[in-house]
Amino acid sequence: MLRKKAFFIILALALFVLPTLALMAQDMTEVRISWWGSQNRHDRTIAAIELYEELNHDIDIVYEFQGWGDHWTKLSTQAAGGELPDIMQHDYARIEEWVANGLLMPLDGYIESGAIDTMSIADSSLAGGMVDGQMYGINLGNNSEVFTLDTDAFAEAGIELPPLDWTWTQFEEIANQIHDSLGIHGIGVLTSDQLWKSQYMGCCDQWSYAADGMSLGYEDDQPLIDYYSMLLRLQESGGMQSYEDSVARGDQGVEAQLIVSQEAAMAYHWSNQIVAVWNASGAERNFVMYPIPRPEGGQSQNYIKPSMFFSITSQAEQPDAAAAFIDWFVNSVEANEILEAERGVPISSVVRDALLPNLGAAQAEMFNYLGVIEMDNSPIRPADPAAHADVVNNIFVPEFVEPVMYGMISPEDAASYLREEANRILAAQ
Amino acid sequence: MAAATLNKAKRRKKSNFGQDNLVGYLFIGPWLAAFLLFTFIPISVSLLLSFTDYNVLANSGEFIGLDNFQRMFFEDRRYWRSVNATLKYVVFSVPLRLVFALGVAMLLNSYRRGVGVYRAAFYAPSIIGGSIAVAVMWREIFGNDGLVNFALNLLGIDGPNWLGRPETAIWTLIILAAWQFGSPMLIFLAGLKNIPKHLYESAEIDGANAWQRFLRITLPMLTPIIFFNLIMQLISGFMVFTQAFIVTQGKPLDTTLFYALYVYRRAFEQNEMGYASAMAWVMLMVIALLTALVFRSSSYWVHYEAGDGS
Repeated sequence: MLRKKAFFIILALALFVLPTLALMAQDMTEVRISWWGSQNRHDRTIAAIELYEELNHDIDIVYEFQGWGDHWTKLSTQAAGGELPDIMQHDYARIEEWVANGLLMPLDGYIESGAIDTMSIADSSLAGGMVDGQMYGINLGNNSEVFTLDTDAFAEAGIELPPLDWTWTQFEEIANQIHDSLGIHGIGVLTSDQLWKSQYMGCCDQWSYAADGMSLGYEDDQPLIDYYSMLLRLQESGGMQSYEDSVARGDQGVEAQLIVSQEAAMAYHWSNQIVAVWNASGAERNFVMYPIPRPEGGQSQNYIKPSMFFSITSQAEQPDAAAAFIDWFVNSVEANEILEAERGVPISSVVRDALLPNLGAAQAEMFNYLGVIEMDNSPIRPADPAAHADVVNNIFVPEFVEPVMYGMISPEDAASYLREEANRILAAQ
Repeated sequence: MAAATLNKAKRRKKSNFGQDNLVGYLFIGPWLAAFLLFTFIPISVSLLLSFTDYNVLANSGEFIGLDNFQRMFFEDRRYWRSVNATLKYVVFSVPLRLVFALGVAMLLNSYRRGVGVYRAAFYAPSIIGGSIAVAVMWREIFGNDGLVNFALNLLGIDGPNWLGRPETAIWTLIILAAWQFGSPMLIFLAGLKNIPKHLYESAEIDGANAWQRFLRITLPMLTPIIFFNLIMQLISGFMVFTQAFIVTQGKPLDTTLFYALYVYRRAFEQNEMGYASAMAWVMLMVIALLTALVFRSSSYWVHYEAGDGS
């Protein structure tokens, strides 16, 4: 009897109270947002969203987050179903493809009206979000590739820190020294497609893709062959983690980098990721950030890139509310005190100045590093062609990196096959 | 409660055949609606898509005839690697899993104390099958400093990096499949319980040993069950996806790039829904063909007991 009564009460609650609540909630403006990232980013972003909702009682921000790969899978599916969120985190490598397919909304109107305030933002920091002369993404932080060095490990091994313009030859020597004296790897695998993309900046002032994106942008395979020959040597000596080992571990995100678990003394990643890396490593560790090594007599391989964007999709139901949120996210000191430059160095000078006195160790090192890169860098290249993902997933990794690192094919043969197949895909887009 | 049952029984007596059918349709209604909406319509659409270059992101595509199939068979090296990986997986994992399932089912087909606990315990791995937890565990077991290498080390053998070597990675997934033998095991168990006891008794009296009883009674009596399990496992074997997606991501060197994983990659990572649909339809045809072949062969080796209950 009692149970029956309880059942009816619950039923009544479900039937009447919930719809009433739902009706009440309808007075609120719902803004949907989706981003990719690490756990550290999820925590910070959610905290910022909660603050925003506290400050704006009529706004309900519904968020979704995931890792890098799932982000694109999920959002492209949502795009086909007309279900895109109002705001999506976007990337320099993909934004052109999304704009070409009419999935993003130009933000120029919001910038002109001041709804997205760009008074304290340098034009150069906004330029990355422009496609065909219109603004499609607001930069969430400046970024550059980095080699992070564990200074404690260097001291323990008795290795002096290299000069900031260190060369690949010096790097190889150091990686081997670390392995010889500490028994750990110098560094994790260095086979990412990003390194392939930027590699030709150092030697030849070229880029992996031609300016029009219809073919590869470098003429000589030799620098690529030399680089992979070095990786093979390092893999053999233990100066670098073996490719086999990295496959066995699987991709578990930046927080699983070998430097975090002290299985390597150096790491390669994006500068904003130092926040997650340092956080996962522990505050007692000491890291210093270095530019990518350069070829003998070569120039900087680093360039300053928007780490990621917030874009408003063309399927957004609340674009105005979305723009207001983006404005707050970029310009509010309060918001950025929570976010703590985890998405890279903030582009607003007001925010930067406000954060400076209270920076944590990781953020201070990152701000300092971006300052170093600003002094000496290569110019940013055009956003990746639409076929970039195809080239990387179906040619670069399975036909070049893997066969070379497993010793199935020589770097020479693999490089020429890569050129042939990549050019075929790029020409056919 | 009792009154309601009685009432129902009375009504049932009165009701005619047509009404019974209606009730039946009402009961399968939700399933039928979901089947049409989420299975039949998407499958039909994918057949149409397989003749187009439909791209999800662009949400557009053109009719390109048989180009997808030509590309798949003659231009795509990774396609053939995925076929290769899948065939290898099916050829080894299906028999292995069936043998395991039958073996454990025979062990559990007794009236020992606590046999229910064992049944649940052996079934558990199949339930947690494709979860992240299993993937992490498998990585721990077969990792470089994993359990397997630890054990080998004790024997003085330096084990390889199982998940990282192209020769061994797929075997970790085949072993994972064998370990997840729960559902065929349950079906075998039900089959074993249906074999009349008197057959064993008389065989024993005639002096047949355990092996002879297994070969002459258990196996022939089980052939309908083996047949059913073989078909089910064959189909699910070809559709293997989760394990590779989670544990190995198709690596290394595409040796664990199973067909369904490659279809998924093309469809959702490259947005090439047209090409992926074409690949999926080729797979459907191959599975249908193989199933038909197994059905054809069944008249030679499957024995149905006549008379009992029919």
